[in-house]
Amino acid sequence: MTDESFDDMTDESFDLRLRLLDRQVVDPDGAMICKVDDVELAPADGGGYVVTALLAGPLALGPRLPGRLGRWTVALARRWSDDPEPSPRRIPFERVTELGSAVVLDRSRDQLGIAGLEDWVRTHVIDRIPGSRHASE
Amino acid sequence: MRASELLAAEVRTVDGRRLGVVTGLRCSLDGPSQGPTPAPRVRALVVTGRHVGAALGYQQENQRGPWLVRALIRALHRRSRLVDVGLIDRVEAGTVRLSAEPD
Amino acid sequence: MKRLLSVFLGVLTAIGGFVDIGDLVANALAGARFGLSLVWVTVLGVVGICLFAEMSGRVAAVTRRGTFDLIRERLGPRAGLLNLVASLLVTVLTFTAEIGGVALALELATSVNYLLFVPVVGFAVWLVIWRLRFKVLENVFGLLGLALIVFPVALWKLNPAWGDLLHSIVAPHKPASEDLSTYLYYGVALFGAAMTPYEVFFFSSGAVEERWTAKDIATSRVNVFIGFPLGGLLSVAIAACAALVLMPAGIEVGTLGQVGLPVAVAVGKLGLAVAILGFVAATFGAALETGLSTGYSIAQYFGWQWGKFVRPRDAARFHVVVLLALIAAIACVLTTADPIKVTEYSIVFSAVALPLTYFPILVVANDPVYMGEHVNGRLSNALGTVFLGIIIVVAAAAVPLMLLTSAGQ
Repeated sequence: MTDESFDDMTDESFDLRLRLLDRQVVDPDGAMICKVDDVELAPADGGGYVVTALLAGPLALGPRLPGRLGRWTVALARRWSDDPEPSPRRIPFERVTELGSAVVLDRSRDQLGIAGLEDWVRTHVIDRIPGSRHASE
Repeated sequence: MRASELLAAEVRTVDGRRLGVVTGLRCSLDGPSQGPTPAPRVRALVVTGRHVGAALGYQQENQRGPWLVRALIRALHRRSRLVDVGLIDRVEAGTVRLSAEPD
Repeated sequence: MKRLLSVFLGVLTAIGGFVDIGDLVANALAGARFGLSLVWVTVLGVVGICLFAEMSGRVAAVTRRGTFDLIRERLGPRAGLLNLVASLLVTVLTFTAEIGGVALALELATSVNYLLFVPVVGFAVWLVIWRLRFKVLENVFGLLGLALIVFPVALWKLNPAWGDLLHSIVAPHKPASEDLSTYLYYGVALFGAAMTPYEVFFFSSGAVEERWTAKDIATSRVNVFIGFPLGGLLSVAIAACAALVLMPAGIEVGTLGQVGLPVAVAVGKLGLAVAILGFVAATFGAALETGLSTGYSIAQYFGWQWGKFVRPRDAARFHVVVLLALIAAIACVLTTADPIKVTEYSIVFSAVALPLTYFPILVVANDPVYMGEHVNGRLSNALGTVFLGIIIVVAAAAVPLMLLTSAGQ
């Protein structure tokens, strides 16, 4: 899913908000995985904070939504999870092969093990309807 | 720490003076990474006196288009400055406290 | 030769797919009450939709991404969410209106109460979205929608004084018996019907479904600049037929039957049958588009896999969203609210939501980082700015006018 017009990721400075946050994350075949809902930062040798992981899901997006809506999103996501201290879906930055118009990873969604709602919906709803495994005619 | 903790956070100087709000994170693409691509490295905070325009995500760089759109965006982006992240003392509860005066 | 045929097919599909229940109702209503004095609004709306459809098609072809995907990326999650919620509400309302429209058209054909058709129609809409390939879906209902050509035919058969007709279009004169506020209210409704927001989402998502690239921009432009105006001509013909047949008789449009009455008068029973076929095709096609658009907008905002170009189980959340929207729409129709009234509300609220939809597209289409050499040229920007101004005025005036005139009473 690359595009030659995307030369914004040069060695010159760029804004994380514009060029990484809220970008679509895709697998090597272009299948859609998630959005970059937030990003994990850590202090780096040589100054600054370096991006260590991409974060996705309601626990990542929730805090970025305004006011009550944000808090409810996080609360709901916490309820849904079995974990007492749930954390958002995390994709370590070394999975990223390309930062262009979309963020390309080196594995597919299933191999990442981060799909939650999609898997649940697929198992409990979609797969029960005949024809879900066939491409449209 | 997450990027969302920095974005939209208030920036205050050593003596508590409000500098503005973080509306962007200026990065270079030379951060250490164990993968094939270098990771973005946040080097500076973009701090704006006004919050509204940047919260809508309109950035000034390279914006072309009808003059009305450009004028609106320029107006919303007055008084933006860069603050080196080395000046950050601590980040707590939506506020970034600096350890020294930015120049 | 094959390429020419496929372009031709694309144009035909664009013409037949242009009209939906909003256009049917708004143009017939306006024609019956105001004659041809509001045709200029339809023309304006058609120019507008051509402009923005071209832009959003170009954006989708170059970036290979859908509208909401880019809106969130460019404007951030908060503004993107506001946009999503507002657009979703309007789209589901329109979805309800379209399903009601199909049921009404089937009632017209069979004299069986429209409510009984609603579950059947709902199931058919779901089944088509579930199984039929995107291109087939588009082409079948687009071509069947060409049945609405019976309206220009009826107009021709009514043998009007063409000079007078043209004069009343070009030099519009509000009927003395109607208030200015009602006139403007119907103008807003016509504008909202011509420039429905879901068109843009659907058109851009469809471009991604059909794997368009920058090479397809030329074809997209042919579809938009030839197909849409001709489709708009169908809208004008519907208004003109109503003006010639219903207005002198003082008949106001409250049912789909009255929309088709001029065709029955001019062309007879066969003509009415063809018109009904056109109604069914146009509304069913639009139901498919609005249904898919609910899925497109939510999935694109959150980054979920979407689209009919993958197996349903690979886009599970997308299909569930469409299903839930369908259930909501069916439930709304089954409340027995008058589908014609629901249609009126859907087009007026579409007018209110227009700035939210079109401003981001204008921004993205101008961003050289996304568009490269395909950014907006000066003409697109000049027209785009003018229309943005018009859209903002219309959106601001819509609700006050609705309240002032008690929704066009």
